[in-house]
Amino acid sequence: MFEIHCPYCDEKRPEIEFAYAGEAHIVRPNAQDQGEMSDADWSQYMFIRDNVRGEHCERWWHQHGCNMFFNAVRHTVTDKFVMTYKMGKSRPTAKQIADAKK
Amino acid sequence: MLFDQAIDIPETLKGDAVSVTLMEERARYNLRIKSTDLTEFKKLTGLKLPRKINTSSAAKDVTCLCVGPDEWFVIAEAKSKAKLDKLLAKASNKFVCSVTDISHRNVGFEITGAKASRLINVGCPLDMAIEAFPVGKVTRTIFESAAILLRRTGEESFQIECWRSFGPYLRDFFVRASRDF
Ligand SMILES: [Zn+2]
Repeated sequence: MFEIHCPYCDEKRPEIEFAYAGEAHIVRPNAQDQGEMSDADWSQYMFIRDNVRGEHCERWWHQHGCNMFFNAVRHTVTDKFVMTYKMGKSRPTAKQIADAKK
Repeated sequence: MLFDQAIDIPETLKGDAVSVTLMEERARYNLRIKSTDLTEFKKLTGLKLPRKINTSSAAKDVTCLCVGPDEWFVIAEAKSKAKLDKLLAKASNKFVCSVTDISHRNVGFEITGAKASRLINVGCPLDMAIEAFPVGKVTRTIFESAAILLRRTGEESFQIECWRSFGPYLRDFFVRASRDF
């Protein structure tokens, strides 16, 4: 078992408390655009993911803890969590990710 | 409804190193409110909700536990229920918030004794050292795949709350786990 740092609880907690919630930073089209979108664009938003091999920005849910969603950068091969950050913060830059590894 | 009608737990577990007691009936509420309203909330109800996540504040017969940035549990003696019902109803009229009475949804256990933290670590991987989990700290977590609310009430005493339907399972687990001590 490994531990994940929850940015709301601000401590490392066992992974069994968490649930994965898909790729992060995917912007939902606003209601008006949704009505005018083509099926191809909608399915692009709905189903198409980058499926990164390497460091991946993704959502996690501290389901059995503070009940908050947050974002994390995780390496999809090694499963190593590089950093976690609160919802609403923008995608970390390459420099921020490099700093977090130090 | 009588407290023990819905849960088949005959007696308390008494051991040299650890004891588990099913708690008496309690008044329990789940409260969602904006943290910016806490000062006004205290003025109206007199309840001091802790601001820091995973901490609790105990005043007379009422304990307030912060489990998320905008989520609290209020747990009190059963005799305070009528008073708290009124107070929280008043608050729900004034604030954008949600108050849910969960008095009968949960059951509580008191775990005491020199090996109380060892018993918790049988089913829960959190660090129970006093530095990492000081008195008054509280959190939701998982105990042997059951969702629980865990609070340290003293150096060698804990309170565990779970859904009523998990009660017999946890109680049974405590009994079997404590045979090792
Ligand atoms: Zn958390």
